[in-house]
Amino acid sequence: MSITYTIDGVKVVAEPSDTILTSATRAGVEIPTLCFDKRTAIYGACGLCLVEVEGVPKLLRACSARPQEGYVVHLHTPRVDRARKTALELLLSDHTGDCRGPCKLNCPAMTDCQKYVGEIREGRYKDAVSTIYEAFPLPASIGRVCPHPCEDACRRKMVEEPISIAFLKAFAADKVEADGDPYEVQCEPDTGKRVAIVGGGPAGLTAAYFLRRYGHAVTIFDKQPKLGGMLRYGIPEYRLPKAVLDREIQIILDAGVEVHTDTQLGRDIDFDELREQYDAVLLAIGAWKSMPMRVPGEDLEGVFGGIDFLERLGLGERPTLGERVAVCGGGNTAMDCCRTAVRLGAKEVYVVYRRTRAEMPAADIEIEEAEEEGVTFKFLTNPIEFYGEDGKLTGMKLQVMELGEPDASGRRRPVPVEGVTEDIAIDNVLMAIGQGANCEGVTADLLTQRGTIACDELTFRTGIDNVFAAGDVTNRGAGIAIQAIAEAQKAALCINNYLEGDEVRARIPYFVKQEKTPEDFEDEPKQNREKMPGLTPEQRRDNFDPIYFGFSEEQALREASRCLECGCHDYFDCRLIRYANAFDIDPERFAGEMHDREDKPVVSEVIIHDPDKCVLCGLCYRICDQEVGKTFLGLYNRGFSTVVNPMVPDEARTFCASCLKCVEACPTGAMKSVPAVERVTQIL
Amino acid sequence: MRIIVGEGSCGLAAGAGAVHTQLEALIAQDNPRGVQLGITGCIGMCFLEPIVDVYEDDGTLHRLVRVQAKDAQTIYDAVMGGNLELLGKLAITPEDEQFLSKQTRVALRNCGIIDPESIDDYLAHGGYQAITKILETGMSQEDVIQQIDVAGLRGRGGAGFSTAFKWRAARDSQGEQKYLICNADEGDPGAFMDRAVIEGDPHSLIEGMLIGAYSIGASEAIVYVRAEYPLAIIRLRKAIEDATARGYLGEHICGSDFSCTLRIKAGAGAFVCGEETALIESLEGKRGMPRLKPPFPAQAGYWLKPSNINNVETYANVAWIVSHGGEAFAAMGTENSKGTKVFALSGKIARGGLVEVPMGTTLREVIFDIGGGIRSGKEFKAVQLGGPSGGCVPASKLDTVIDYNELAATGAIMGSGGMVVMDETTCMVSMARFFLDFTAKESCGKCVHCRLGTKRMLEILDRIVAGKGEQGDIEKLEDLCYAIKDGALCGLGQTAPNPVLTTIRYFRDELEAHIDEHRCPAGECRDLISYSIDKTVCVGCTACARQCPVGAISGERKSPHEIDPALCIKCGNCKTACRFGAVKVA
Amino acid sequence: MRTLAPVDLSLIEPALDAYADIPGSLITILQETQETYGYLPMSVMEHIAERTHTPIATIVGVATFYAQFRLEPVGKHLIMLCQGTACHVNGSQLISAAVTDELGIEDGQTTEDGLFSLKHVACLGCCSLSPVMMIDDRTYGSLTPDKARKILRELAAEDGEGDEAK
Repeated sequence: MSITYTIDGVKVVAEPSDTILTSATRAGVEIPTLCFDKRTAIYGACGLCLVEVEGVPKLLRACSARPQEGYVVHLHTPRVDRARKTALELLLSDHTGDCRGPCKLNCPAMTDCQKYVGEIREGRYKDAVSTIYEAFPLPASIGRVCPHPCEDACRRKMVEEPISIAFLKAFAADKVEADGDPYEVQCEPDTGKRVAIVGGGPAGLTAAYFLRRYGHAVTIFDKQPKLGGMLRYGIPEYRLPKAVLDREIQIILDAGVEVHTDTQLGRDIDFDELREQYDAVLLAIGAWKSMPMRVPGEDLEGVFGGIDFLERLGLGERPTLGERVAVCGGGNTAMDCCRTAVRLGAKEVYVVYRRTRAEMPAADIEIEEAEEEGVTFKFLTNPIEFYGEDGKLTGMKLQVMELGEPDASGRRRPVPVEGVTEDIAIDNVLMAIGQGANCEGVTADLLTQRGTIACDELTFRTGIDNVFAAGDVTNRGAGIAIQAIAEAQKAALCINNYLEGDEVRARIPYFVKQEKTPEDFEDEPKQNREKMPGLTPEQRRDNFDPIYFGFSEEQALREASRCLECGCHDYFDCRLIRYANAFDIDPERFAGEMHDREDKPVVSEVIIHDPDKCVLCGLCYRICDQEVGKTFLGLYNRGFSTVVNPMVPDEARTFCASCLKCVEACPTGAMKSVPAVERVTQIL
Repeated sequence: MRIIVGEGSCGLAAGAGAVHTQLEALIAQDNPRGVQLGITGCIGMCFLEPIVDVYEDDGTLHRLVRVQAKDAQTIYDAVMGGNLELLGKLAITPEDEQFLSKQTRVALRNCGIIDPESIDDYLAHGGYQAITKILETGMSQEDVIQQIDVAGLRGRGGAGFSTAFKWRAARDSQGEQKYLICNADEGDPGAFMDRAVIEGDPHSLIEGMLIGAYSIGASEAIVYVRAEYPLAIIRLRKAIEDATARGYLGEHICGSDFSCTLRIKAGAGAFVCGEETALIESLEGKRGMPRLKPPFPAQAGYWLKPSNINNVETYANVAWIVSHGGEAFAAMGTENSKGTKVFALSGKIARGGLVEVPMGTTLREVIFDIGGGIRSGKEFKAVQLGGPSGGCVPASKLDTVIDYNELAATGAIMGSGGMVVMDETTCMVSMARFFLDFTAKESCGKCVHCRLGTKRMLEILDRIVAGKGEQGDIEKLEDLCYAIKDGALCGLGQTAPNPVLTTIRYFRDELEAHIDEHRCPAGECRDLISYSIDKTVCVGCTACARQCPVGAISGERKSPHEIDPALCIKCGNCKTACRFGAVKVA
Repeated sequence: MRTLAPVDLSLIEPALDAYADIPGSLITILQETQETYGYLPMSVMEHIAERTHTPIATIVGVATFYAQFRLEPVGKHLIMLCQGTACHVNGSQLISAAVTDELGIEDGQTTEDGLFSLKHVACLGCCSLSPVMMIDDRTYGSLTPDKARKILRELAAEDGEGDEAK
């Protein structure tokens, strides 16, 4: 005799044996739970399935409560939400682990590095490339030039050196190209919406790629003769061969993008017309202006903006330099400038930087290679005057500096050593102390005081309804390519949401994270990073040939096998993190003592339990007891110290047949079959 | 003449054993008047222990209090010499007698009067007459339950569920085998009523259980006793043996068709086993983790058979109700709460012990008229009812009557009977922290809300008493409290927030003083207080300096002393040692 | 360091004979085990598992759930310090601090000489004598920090004498 009741207005029919949960599930109504599994007796531990029934004073656990005829059940009431959210917040307050690896979390574009490194390790290069394309296009290019924040965060450095994540990315992209099986963009059916993108650099191209995937028509306008932006006009050929860039841009264009090059905003196209003609406009015009140094003599002949210098090179010019060239600045653009100067034949190339090497923002490898190529670094010096004869530069006066107290950024502030200066004779100066946006043609109301375009950091909307902005031109100003790409990726999502009439905001999901120290990896066998083969300093000093050859396949496999797999293996199936994000919880609310147990109990040869990820739903031991009939696992201790443990003498381990039912039943990543790393090591 | 030594656990702890031994030795040497030496359980006047009752042959009672081994000779001489006036200096004062005279005893009717180890003494006091009456007059199960129903007996373990309702449910439940269980896992860390009943009158529990077993149709009864009550277990075991030997337990009780065995199961230390489904798990030899309800024990309890569980005090009332009739019981009390209730009165009370009063008595009457108010002339501040599941009732609510509903309205609960009195030197925040520390330790760990919720509440309270509370902590506590009440699986978790909620409700200012001003108004929280010596009061006796374990007190003899705050560990020894009240806490 | 006597499994046989076949007797058997050995040796629990056909996980699960059970041996004297409400109100923290200071052990620990183990326990039910502690089978009430120290010193002294007598 069945009964009928409603859950959130949905009619549900229940049989006498049904609970609210089982009948709801059959009716297609999802009630959250971590501890229910129909193979085991009802347990009632997690408290997520609580529901409120009209006229019933207490909240009911849907997993055990029997529905009654005419029940009016609510899944969301203030009481239910509070109790459920609190349960999730409490669970996360004692859940130690890493949902995702530090590499991914530190990548501005949240590229799933662990995943594609793993795919490379397993020889699945096409999958690896697809994984990268989920985050952004242009992997072979970015893999070559990215200063790789992922590697900065990589925990392998606590063993010896980080994984060579960026080069692996380039390897995978090159490999599928070489195999004649490059990535192809899959687009949703056309939506009929049209988006104009101003600027065809990394941000504009990334946005074009994603918007095409969403099914929108895309037109790119770029002032330069070719697409690529700073990747083409800011990064020298020896670091990024333009053939690689061309091939990767073509993959995007093959998805069907209309392109207008040599078209500058404000000159060739009108901003207002653009936003009237298109459903949405994305401004991704970059930051192309060299920042002036504001020292006397900047207007002398022979003084160039660093980025202007590189742009000319990119356009095919070969600017003439004198024998002695000084580059001012310590970033990657400064490195590109000085190394280009070497290649153009300058005899003496100086890098003038007001702090020390330790504070240089440029990538270490760039500094090293510049040194190898003969560049002289003049640290703790700051230009205070350029001077010359007949309007032509002949030398510069440097103020000698020393490091003082740390500033807001934590770096020690350089302060002048009173009265100590130095003069050097030079023919050219390349100023590479920063880049600004050139927003000619953009309505002045959209600009910040710094001359960048003001936009919301979560929605990428500007002050005008259908106008968005991303990349170097936005608030923060110029950054590295992957930051611009990351903004474009989110901006494309926001534009898509906008065009579809959804909430525009790009939501940042919550991830569980933990801190690790080198001590945690003391037992990890050491295996150094693969060396990237390439030209010797002598071979590369007088030409623009690509300096790296790329990893061989053997190297790539070895390198990929070094990954520690920090991110949780269960992330995509983990119900805890899914609910945590779905119910909009505040995971820090009940921060307190957390378990961090050193030993992870070994259940069997192929099963490891991580009690710090365990939510004590009891499913593993209940399945083992009630379904498998082994009772190999058990609960130990009580209260906060409760733990699931196979705490038994070693010989008993043979009782476990490794049926893996406990692993499958676990709603989080607490039960794990032996990690893929070890399996692959066995295969190799 | 009879000399009866009160030998409950606290009497023994106070030295009753030595008194007994001495008296026994003296009487063994020479007993010209044929004096009988006996024992009894706890009379409930714990503050006067050890207690020796001397009964003249005409029944006249001379109650001697705070008796020490050295007094044995005096008692012996007085009794043997027939000169009972000699006992005057040991005699109870009329004032202290009020402690008993203002009580009404039903559950405790025999405690401290009969010899708990003698079934004959129980029989002599009307014992086993109720079960005999039922079996001999052929009262039906419903007849008995009807009397319990008329009596309006509600569970004395705390929740106050109707006993008759539970019995009917268990009786109506289908099943050949049914069980009747007594919850003697007295877990409230401030209550000892059940212990006193088992130690002082075990047969009344057995008789009550027999009546219950008869009413629901159980042939097996089990008492689940705390392992921390060794004396109770010994006396109950003897009582079971004696009752079995006399035919009150076993096959064909009193020659009837009714058969019932009774056994003891010792608990192993888990507060949560006071929750009936956890208790059943424990009886089955498992971890004491609560089961989900439904099914209720009346349908599927011990070994999934219909089972009924009541606590000791509930059963202790049953024989009385059957003998005197339900109406007599219902004549006492309030509309919602009938009969009497036993409380274990302790804390900063002048006269602490066991108190049994009719429902409807005010808290003020219990604390001040019976308990004599606060000792050492301090101000009453609050009374804690219901232990870790209850709350603190402030002075403004002292006229609340003892009644399940009235007490629940204060935010506390009736509870099992713990009644701990606090004065102005008790910090209410520390008190709340104390209970959360208890529940967090006792949480079985099964459900999220209790396992982690109590832990986090404790952490918040920890930081508040350490002066590290944060703005918003009170609100965070409150929010957590309500979520736990709604989300926890069993009674332990659902009621764990009560001590915190009543503290927020009545003593918010004290919480705020800790958080906002880093001050403990009661002067109890160590991290927030400092000790100093009032130079105008100190006489330089050096007592404090001698007691200081860290040498933080300096000063010449006969001149004022001084405490070095840098060294002081705030142990309080100096304050205890000072006879002049010169040590100040701020 | 104290050395542990090897565990004689036969000592628990009588209890196993009595209870092994009665369902639900695990706690009783463990109580008998602790009574016999002073704690629950792992080897005995394994033996119980075998004799009662109970998974070892279940046995250790029960043994670690209840406060009464100890998986490690205790000192000669077991100090049970009451943590009841009345004792708290009457200053049990001060007694606890004094005991810890006197013996140098915290809750759950045993002195190096193996003489004392300290265990905080829920209410001992002697609330009117609070604060209270129980050492072995004897209850000491109305404690002050000083009184607690004296009791411990006396017990230690008695043991010292006993040892000399040997």
